Amino acid sequence: MDLSRRRFLQTAVLTAAGAGLTAACGGGSGSSGSKDSKNLKFWYWAGGLSDKVVADAKTHFSDATLKTSVIGGDFKTKLLTGLKTAQTSPDITGVKGEDIASLLPNANRFLDLKTLGMDKLAPDYLSWKLKQATTQDGKLIGFPIDIGPCALFYREDIFAQAGLPTDPAKVSAQLSTWEAYFDAGVELHKKVPKSFLVNNIGSVFSMAIGQGTTRFIDENNKFIGDQDHIRTAWDTAVKPYTLGIDAKINDNTWNAAIGNGTLATELGAAWHALDISNATPGTKGKWRVASLPSGPSNLGGSFLALPATCANPDLAFKVVSWILNPENQARGFTDAALFPTTPAAYKLPALTGGDAFFGGQKTIEIFGPAAEKIPAAYEAPADAAVSVAYFNELTSIEAKGKDPEDAWKDAVSQAKQIAQRQGVK
Amino acid sequence: MSSSPVAGSAATGPPSGPATGSGGRHATDRRRGPGRPARRIRPVSSGARPGPRRRRARYWPQYLAISPYYLIFSVFMFFPVIYTIYLAFQKWDGIGEMHYVGFQQFRFLWDDPVFWLSIRNTLVIWVLATAPMLFMALILAVLVNSTKRFTSFYRVALFIPSITSLVAIAIFFGAIFSNNFGLINAVLTGLHLGAVPWLSNEWTIKLVIAALMTWQWTGYNAIIYLAGLQAIPSELYEAARMDGAGPMRIFFSITIPLLRPIILFTVVVSTVTGLQSFTEPQVLFGSDASTNPNSGGPGQAGLTTLLYFYHTAFDTNDFGYGAAIVWAFFLVILLIVLINWGLVQRKERRP
Repeated sequence: MDLSRRRFLQTAVLTAAGAGLTAACGGGSGSSGSKDSKNLKFWYWAGGLSDKVVADAKTHFSDATLKTSVIGGDFKTKLLTGLKTAQTSPDITGVKGEDIASLLPNANRFLDLKTLGMDKLAPDYLSWKLKQATTQDGKLIGFPIDIGPCALFYREDIFAQAGLPTDPAKVSAQLSTWEAYFDAGVELHKKVPKSFLVNNIGSVFSMAIGQGTTRFIDENNKFIGDQDHIRTAWDTAVKPYTLGIDAKINDNTWNAAIGNGTLATELGAAWHALDISNATPGTKGKWRVASLPSGPSNLGGSFLALPATCANPDLAFKVVSWILNPENQARGFTDAALFPTTPAAYKLPALTGGDAFFGGQKTIEIFGPAAEKIPAAYEAPADAAVSVAYFNELTSIEAKGKDPEDAWKDAVSQAKQIAQRQGVK
Repeated sequence: MSSSPVAGSAATGPPSGPATGSGGRHATDRRRGPGRPARRIRPVSSGARPGPRRRRARYWPQYLAISPYYLIFSVFMFFPVIYTIYLAFQKWDGIGEMHYVGFQQFRFLWDDPVFWLSIRNTLVIWVLATAPMLFMALILAVLVNSTKRFTSFYRVALFIPSITSLVAIAIFFGAIFSNNFGLINAVLTGLHLGAVPWLSNEWTIKLVIAALMTWQWTGYNAIIYLAGLQAIPSELYEAARMDGAGPMRIFFSITIPLLRPIILFTVVVSTVTGLQSFTEPQVLFGSDASTNPNSGGPGQAGLTTLLYFYHTAFDTNDFGYGAAIVWAFFLVILLIVLINWGLVQRKERRP
């Protein structure tokens, strides 16, 4: 009895271990063999693509099996982990706009889309967006899913109360610079005391940075976050705070503030329209969109990339370029508020129609021209990490009443330290 | 152990008694050295009295039964922990090549004001949370211990917060303490007291996080104290009452001294867990996802060390520096636990 039980246990353990080994090896030979597998693992996040377009892709490419996974939580961390081995790596993956720059130093982990046919498609897509996914030696690792052309969202009814222009064209013309925008804000706050112009000054800062062609680090990997272009953006951001037209919202009360008229305007990307309409369905018809003061800017916008271990690069590229062709990008705009990366889509009915949330305004008239005029800036791998110092100090001004001049000095010294840790000169 | 038949026979020895016993001892002595006589005697002894190694080998099913925990622990906990020591001396972005940088990460750490700010934040939040938490837990435990009815209801009620999802609690607290539209500020303005910017002031941010931790763990500690209270013999209380001691005197002269080991345990556990606050500030202030994630709120007032570590490693891809942060922080926790231990132990010797 004792013996047989022992033998049973031994056999069980050996069988289990054997099964594990076989499974591991089996998985290995399955996906890392020749480059013509018909099974493609496809990772993206909820809302990252139109689910309807992805479902159609499965039927459109009937010879391939797309295994899609909607990855929740911290997408980039899971992607970095997944890329470690060929077995765990996806064959097609989404990459968020804020992460693409930090992946460029490891471009060898991804396929160069130019070698797969992107060189022919590239002229149809926005060149500044392609530049974000291009390495300094010219490899393109990301196919742009969407962009975030920024605009000024404003409450028409509050503007009317304050005696400001209400028509989008007139608003765009009158509030054409940051100065004019803040002047209007002072006027507005005087007439409608419960309303403020901006939700926080960090949002102004990120818009102002995006309007320039240089950011915190230059092409030679040199820290330039202490130079005039950043200082100008900083001064622009601090202005609404000193003028008393900053709502200083840095917590989860934004939802409530946007609904009850505390915020008369909102600076945001095209996709931000969805945030507003989700937060305050009751204000439908009261919002309008005007051009961003002092020129267009971009915030966010993701990519699809093919990891170097991709089981079938040609097929994968076909899938990606089909999902992101102009017609399907227009559907992505309707389904998931993904603003297209190809100007051809801007002429399609999905985009040219009026938006009921914005009182029937044809918002493409604002976003379309802005999208094509966004300046192409070099974004270094450590750019996002360095920028954190400025945003932290801007919220310190709002939360603690810290002197803006001290905050600037602390932001620069902190940014320099982060840059040094990140290997920036 | 003695109940098991195998061990029992080995302990009592075979009927042949001292002769084989001594022979066996000789055998185990000689077994280590070379020489054939040992081999000749060995079969006799090994059957009668197994050596320590063999006895251990006999328990392999038991070891096997507990092994899954240790295997999982070593793969998912022990190895990563050891690996972070290695990482702390590298510069690594999480996917590319690692570069050995020596103690550079620790030098950066020493000069990094944000790291020291995060240590300060963590300590303040820990004190604000732990002191009232343990005090209230003790009071609650004494109260529940003295009740006669609904005792199991109270115990369940005390335990529920500690098994509630932390993320849900954090979202709930965020809504209650919300600056402009929160419940507490609504009540305050209703009483004409003026709203408090709970989630943007440097100190109230810490207070909110501490309140959250207190709310969640007070009941858990009360249950532990309750277990300790029930182990105190009731004769002691009866004797004290016979001697005319009032409830306060009984509490301080009997309950507290006899609970000291339990208090030490809760202090050490609360120190280790309280210093690791992470989810609370992350959920309360993690909203601004794309431009400045996991910043710890306005003025970085809610930036605990673990949140700073997470931000450094996973948001800014600086895994080497992140590893250096957690190891430096480990030393801080160790130091605090030792100080705590010393304080509570010394009090024990005083009376």
